[in-house]
Amino acid sequence: MSRLIAKKLLQGKITTPSKICVRSYHPIAKDYIKPITIEPLTYTTDSLQSKVLGHCLANNVPKHGFKEKAIVQSINQLGLSPSLISVLGSSNSPSFFHSSPAVLELIKYHLVTKRHELTKDIPQDNIDHNNGLPSLEELMIKRLQMDIPVGGQLTDLFAQLSIPSQYLMDTALPELFNLADDMIYFSNEKDHFDMAWYTKRLGVSFTYVTSKLFMAQDKSPNFSETMQFAHDKLYNVMKLGDYYNNAEEFAWYTLMVSTNLIKSQLARK
Amino acid sequence: MYKRSALSNVSRAKPFSVLSPLRAKSSPIVEENTTTKSKFEQLSPAQKAYLDRVIRVDQAGELGADYIYRGQIYVLSHKHPHLRPILDHMWKQEVHHRSTFNNLQLKHRTRPSLITPLWKLGATAMGVVPALLSPEAAMACTEAVETVIGNHYNEQLRCLANQFNVSKIDGSKDEPEEIKKLTDTIKEFRDQELEHLDTAIKNDSHMAVPYKLLTEGIKTVCKAAIWTAERV
Repeated sequence: MSRLIAKKLLQGKITTPSKICVRSYHPIAKDYIKPITIEPLTYTTDSLQSKVLGHCLANNVPKHGFKEKAIVQSINQLGLSPSLISVLGSSNSPSFFHSSPAVLELIKYHLVTKRHELTKDIPQDNIDHNNGLPSLEELMIKRLQMDIPVGGQLTDLFAQLSIPSQYLMDTALPELFNLADDMIYFSNEKDHFDMAWYTKRLGVSFTYVTSKLFMAQDKSPNFSETMQFAHDKLYNVMKLGDYYNNAEEFAWYTLMVSTNLIKSQLARK
Repeated sequence: MYKRSALSNVSRAKPFSVLSPLRAKSSPIVEENTTTKSKFEQLSPAQKAYLDRVIRVDQAGELGADYIYRGQIYVLSHKHPHLRPILDHMWKQEVHHRSTFNNLQLKHRTRPSLITPLWKLGATAMGVVPALLSPEAAMACTEAVETVIGNHYNEQLRCLANQFNVSKIDGSKDEPEEIKKLTDTIKEFRDQELEHLDTAIKNDSHMAVPYKLLTEGIKTVCKAAIWTAERV
């Protein structure tokens, strides 16, 4: 039966139900040619789309926010055809609640490229989790600092990301989980092979989103309060993990002690 | 050196069409060394999805095996001390299998099975309950489990051998190093699992009392577990 599945899988007949639950296998990068796109974007880094969206993020989003206006201005400033805006949004389906597919693409580009940029400087080949990697907190602070230029527009971004829709399930949440996964994988944080794998990623995602929400309303110079908030939050979440581990260890110890006590009492008779 | 041919030059000559930005135009990044030629093309999403499943289901399976033997040892080691070294030997091999797949899971960044606690609980029960019936029943349980696992590993080996001939840049086709390694690992583990099967038969697994019921029941449970672990 599983042979049948394998065959179907390899012919591309099975599509996975939702992108949320996909954690794809990562092959050993050095054996393969470098991919020309950054997943899940479908265009290369030197394509026209990247040029427009990159320009827009750097120049117009800080002023106008994640809005169609910002993209239109970038297209005009680069001297490109206005019809390009429909090309930009072509990989997103139009949604009743969102402003425009092109804006959705802009947000996706923002999330994906920033995530990629975060770990760009870390050599991908020989990851040694014991030394040479930044801590989880450093990575999270670095990611938050990347958003300082668009700091004033975060409310807007959150509104678009959190609307219940196909976009939330296909892009927003998977990107959040990919980010959390990257932060854990590329930091010296201990990784796990049981339920702790999930709880740690959820904890990091939760910390990141709450810090970002805090950042949206933060008026302190250079968002210093946000960084402090993220630091405290991450510390608390990790402490929660310690509490759980200690409680589990103690429960297991108690169980073993009581079993052995009962056994020894039975053996006396 | 690898470069896209004349086609991309043509499309570059054309300044703009609505569709042209959608095509990936740039050539892959060329690295300046001789080993570039022996590099492989990217694995397809389906191939990656398959490897993802293989690692997840094998990890969950070996976790199960680990807990089954633990359960058996816990129940049997006092009443039947002569079985202790046999069970210990098999258990140690399973622990090694499990840690191998744990490492693979972390290295390739696949997710573990979402219902890992359930696998732990189920596997412990599967070790303890037959062992409480009789040592023969425990051996029958081992026999059933290892039969299913052996077959399952064989199916994986078939798929890995058939479907992972990836093209290289210079045009030749070969299996990537990591696939070869994975194949070797699975082969080694399959042989050891089948060795456990023989051990179980040598230790009177056929003498278990509801033999057919036990083995067939456990086989069905194992197959259902494999089906689930591949997906969840």
